[in-house]
Amino acid sequence: MKTPEGLARSVCRVNSDPSDDDAGWYEISIRGRLEERWAAWFEGMAIDAGQAGQTIIRGPVVDQAALHGLLARLRDLGIPLVEVRQIPAPSAPDDLR
Amino acid sequence: MSIALVETKFFLPHAREDLLARPRLEALPWVRRSRLVLVSAPAGFGKTTLLAAWLANPRGKSAARCAWVSLDEADRDPESFWSYLLTALERASPGTGGAGLSLLGAGQPIEAVLTAVLNEVSVLAEDLDLVLDDYHLAENPGIQPGMSFLIERLPPQLRLVIGTRADPALPLARLRARGELTELRAADLRFTDDETGAFLATVTGLDLPEADVAALGARTEGWIASLQLAALSLRDRDDPSEFIAGFAGDDRYVVDYLVEEVLDRQPAEVREFLLDTAILERLSGPLCDAVSGGTGGAKMLESLERRNLFVVPLDAQRRWYRYHHLFADVLRSHLLAERPEQVAQLHRRASGWFAEAGEPVAAVRHALAAGDADRAADLVEVAIPDLARDRREAVIRAWADQLPDEVLRDRPVLGIRLVGGFMSTNEFDGVEQRLQHIEELMRRPVDEVVVVDPDDLARIPASLAMYRAALALNAGDPAGCIVYAAEAVAQTRADDHLTRASAAALAGLASWATGDLEAATAGYRVAIEGLTRVGHIADVLGCSLALADMELTLGRLEQADRTLEHALALADLHRPAGGDVMRGTADMLVARSRVAWHRNDLSGAATYLRRAEDLGESAGLAQHPYRWRVALARLRAGAGDLADALDLLDQAERVYVGDYSPQVHPIHATKARVLTAAGDLSAARAWAREHRLAADDEVSYLREYEHLTLARLMLAEHRTHPGEARLSDLLKLLDRLLTAAESGGRDGSVLEIEVLRCLAHRASGDADAALAALEHAVDLAEPDRWVRFFVDAGPELAAALAELVVRRPHSDFVRELVRQAAPGGLPVAAQPAAFPHDDVLLDPLSDRELDVLRLLGSDLDGPAIARELVVSLNTVRTHTKHIYTKLGVNNRRSAVTKAHQLGLLVRPRQP
Repeated sequence: MKTPEGLARSVCRVNSDPSDDDAGWYEISIRGRLEERWAAWFEGMAIDAGQAGQTIIRGPVVDQAALHGLLARLRDLGIPLVEVRQIPAPSAPDDLR
Repeated sequence: MSIALVETKFFLPHAREDLLARPRLEALPWVRRSRLVLVSAPAGFGKTTLLAAWLANPRGKSAARCAWVSLDEADRDPESFWSYLLTALERASPGTGGAGLSLLGAGQPIEAVLTAVLNEVSVLAEDLDLVLDDYHLAENPGIQPGMSFLIERLPPQLRLVIGTRADPALPLARLRARGELTELRAADLRFTDDETGAFLATVTGLDLPEADVAALGARTEGWIASLQLAALSLRDRDDPSEFIAGFAGDDRYVVDYLVEEVLDRQPAEVREFLLDTAILERLSGPLCDAVSGGTGGAKMLESLERRNLFVVPLDAQRRWYRYHHLFADVLRSHLLAERPEQVAQLHRRASGWFAEAGEPVAAVRHALAAGDADRAADLVEVAIPDLARDRREAVIRAWADQLPDEVLRDRPVLGIRLVGGFMSTNEFDGVEQRLQHIEELMRRPVDEVVVVDPDDLARIPASLAMYRAALALNAGDPAGCIVYAAEAVAQTRADDHLTRASAAALAGLASWATGDLEAATAGYRVAIEGLTRVGHIADVLGCSLALADMELTLGRLEQADRTLEHALALADLHRPAGGDVMRGTADMLVARSRVAWHRNDLSGAATYLRRAEDLGESAGLAQHPYRWRVALARLRAGAGDLADALDLLDQAERVYVGDYSPQVHPIHATKARVLTAAGDLSAARAWAREHRLAADDEVSYLREYEHLTLARLMLAEHRTHPGEARLSDLLKLLDRLLTAAESGGRDGSVLEIEVLRCLAHRASGDADAALAALEHAVDLAEPDRWVRFFVDAGPELAAALAELVVRRPHSDFVRELVRQAAPGGLPVAAQPAAFPHDDVLLDPLSDRELDVLRLLGSDLDGPAIARELVVSLNTVRTHTKHIYTKLGVNNRRSAVTKAHQLGLLVRPRQP
C-alpha cells in the first residue's frame, strides 16, 4: 500500500490526460532568450521567442505539482519569470511543436 | 541512529581566498545581533559563499561555534532532516544534540525531541550558530511544524541561519517585528558596480575600462554566477572589450551565452568529460572514470578546481566534488540536447559504479534515472537485508514508493523484503494484501516470477507467517501471534537464522504479554541464539534485557546475571577496534545493577550504575535514561534517601520512553512504594485510587507488581491504623497473588509474596503461618542468594528471621540473612559506601551552583531558571559552565545524573 502521496503520483503518471481537473496547458513567459536546446530539459515543452526579448515555454502539465516543479527549474536557473497562465488545450497539439 | 549520515553534508565550505571581500554584507548580521538570519535569493547569488565568509571571519562578536548542514532532497524526510540538524549541533557543541537524537531514534514526537535540545542549549555558556544551507531543497510540510516550534523558542545562545532559494513558510512575523530577523535578498546580494569592477580585476587580472565594467554589470544585473562565468571567458583573451560588446549586445539567457563561451574554449576532452559527468550529483575520480570510460578523472577534477571551472570540493581531502548547481543544469541541458541517446547509458554506468562501491542508495537512484526499473528492483532486492541490519528502514520505505508498481507485481522476494520496510515504519494497513499477493506468486511456476537469487524463494513461506505473527501482535491478538510464529519457526529453513529468530522473538513477546514466562523466555533464548549467528548484536542486547527481566521474575537470579554477562561479552567482542561501545551496553549494566541489588551488594549495584553513566548517552537505548534513574532511585531509597528517590522517579517519568515490552514495573508503582516507605500513606492511597487498584481485584501477572505495591501499602496502613478487616483483605489478596505466581512458575514473585505474607501473618498474630511463609521464601532464596527482599522488609522481618535461626541452627544462609537484615547487625550507615570515595569532587560546588544544578534537573529552560533564581540568564550560563567543568560533563542530563551519583542532591539545602 502506498502512502496517499505515492498513490496520487502513480495515478497522475498513468492518468496524464490534459482534460483532467488538475491537468492543463500552460504558457510561461520568461525574461531573456532561451534557446530551443532547453526543450529536452523542460521535458518536451515547446520553447518559442516571445515579444521584447522574452521567451515563451508552452505545453501540457499533468498537475499542479508538475507545474511547480517546472517553475522551480526556472528558479534554479535564475531566470526571471514574467507571466504564468493556463491556456486552452490546442485541438492538434503537434502543430505547436 | 537509523540513518547513515553523509559526512560531506556537515562540511563547512572554505571561504576561497580569491573571493572578493564584501564588507557591506559581511558585518551585517552580527552587528544587528539577529536571532534568525535569512538569506533568500535565487541560484548563483553567492549565498553559500557569504555564509562561509561570515562564519570564517565573524566580525563584531566573539566566535561562536558553528553547526553547518548542507541540505538536499533526501532531507525532505523529517527523520533525515532532524538527524542531520541534531548531529551537527552535537558535533559543534557536544552534549546539545545527543538526548534529542536518542529520542528521535525512539520515534518520539518532534516537540519532545526539540525540547530536550533547547533545554540543553538554553543553559550553554557559549553561543552557537546553526546554518541550514539550501533549505529550499528540504522544505516541506513534514518538517515545518518542528521548524516553527524551534523558531518560536530560539534560546538567546542559538542563532539560526537559513540559506534558501525560496522564502520558507515559517513564522517569521514575530522575529521581524522585534527586529530580530535579518533578511538578505537578491537586491542586497547583487554586485554593485564597484564590486563588479573589483571582482573582475581580482579574478581576471585585467584593468578593464569603466564602460566595459558598466556594460557587464548591466548585462548580468550584478548576478554573481554570471559575472564569474564572464570573468572566466575574459581570461586569456586578447580582445576583452570586443567580447564584452558581443555579450552585452546579445539577449540570450546569460548563463547559456557564457557557459557556451567557456565550453567552446575548452579542449575537446574537457568538454566531453563535463557532459559525460553532468548527470552526477557528486563526483570522484574513479566514479567519473567509470561513467566516462576514461582514466584521468581525478586529475581532471583537480584541474577543473584549479581553473575555477565550477567544481566545489565536498571534503578537505579533495576526494569528492560537485558541480556548481547552475553550471550543472546548463551542462545537463547540453547533454540532453546533444546526445539524448547516451543519457540512460551514463546513468547505468553510474549505477553500476555505486553498486560496486557498496552505495545502493545512489545506485538505485541512477538506475531509476536510467529508466531501468528492473535493474533498480534487482538492486533493491539485494540491498535490503544489509540495510535492515543497519536499521536504515526509512530508505527501504522510500524505495517502496519509488519503484513502479509494474516491477513489484512479479517479484515475490522483493515484495516480502519491502513488507519489512512497511512494518518497521509502523505502516500495517495494506500489509495483509501484499502478503496475499506474494502467496499468489508463490503458487506460480518458478519461471513465471522474477527473482535475483532463486534460493531466496524458499525463505518466503516462513517470512509470510512471521509477518502475520507481527500483524497479529500489533492487532492485540497475542494468541494469534503465537500460532503464526510457531508456523514461521516450523517453516524456516535450517540456515535462515534471522527469520527464525524474529519469529521466536515475536512469540516470546506475545507470550510475555499473556504472562506465560516459560514460553516467553524460551522464545527469547531462541531469538538471541539466531540473532547472534547473523550478527544483529544490537537486537541481541535488547532481547537479553527482556530475558533477564523475566528470569528475575522466575526467581533465576544467577541465570539472569549470566544472560547479561553473556550479552555484555558479545557487545564487547563486536565493538569496533577503537570505536564507541555498542548502544545497549549501558542498559546491560543497569540490569546487572538490579541483580547486584537483589543480592544486597549495594556497592556493586552502584558501581554498575556509575559505569553505565560513564559510557555516555550513546551507549544507552532510548529507554536507558529512565531505567537508569529508576535503578538509582532504588539504591537511594534503600539508603533511606527517600526524597531523593522520589525526585529521581519524577525525572524518570519525564524521560520515560515506551517500547513494545509489557510495562510490568510501571514507574508510578515504584513511586508508591517509596511513598509508602516514607510514611506518606495518603499519597500512596491516592495512587491506588488513581490506578483503580483494590484488594479484591482479579490478579494477573501484568498487574502483579502493582498489587504487591498495594499489599505493601495495606500492611503499612495496618501498622498505623490497626483494623482486622483490612488485614484479612490483605491476606486474601496475598493468597490469590501466591496462587497465581505459583501456577505461573514465578518464583521471584513468590519470594516477595511470601515475605509479605510472613509480615501479614505476624501482624495478625498467626506465628506458625508466618514462619511457614518465611521458610518457603528462604528455601526459594537460598540457591541463588536472594537477600534484598528480606533486608528491605524491615525490623519486623529481622525478628522473624531471628526466630527461624532457632529452628534452623545449621543454615549458613539464614544466619547470613539475619546478619544483613538485623537492625543492629549491619546498619545502613555502616554498609559499604554506595559510591567509592574517589568520586568526591575535588572542587566542591557552591551553594548557588547547587541551586542551579537542582533546577537543571527540572524541565525549565535557561530563562525560566534565571527567573526562578532571580538572576540574569548570563549568570545561569556561567554557573552552568562551572558546574559542567566541576562535574566533568557536557550537558544537563549528565550533570544531574552525576550529581545524583555523588549524592549532591540528597538533602535539600538549609535555608
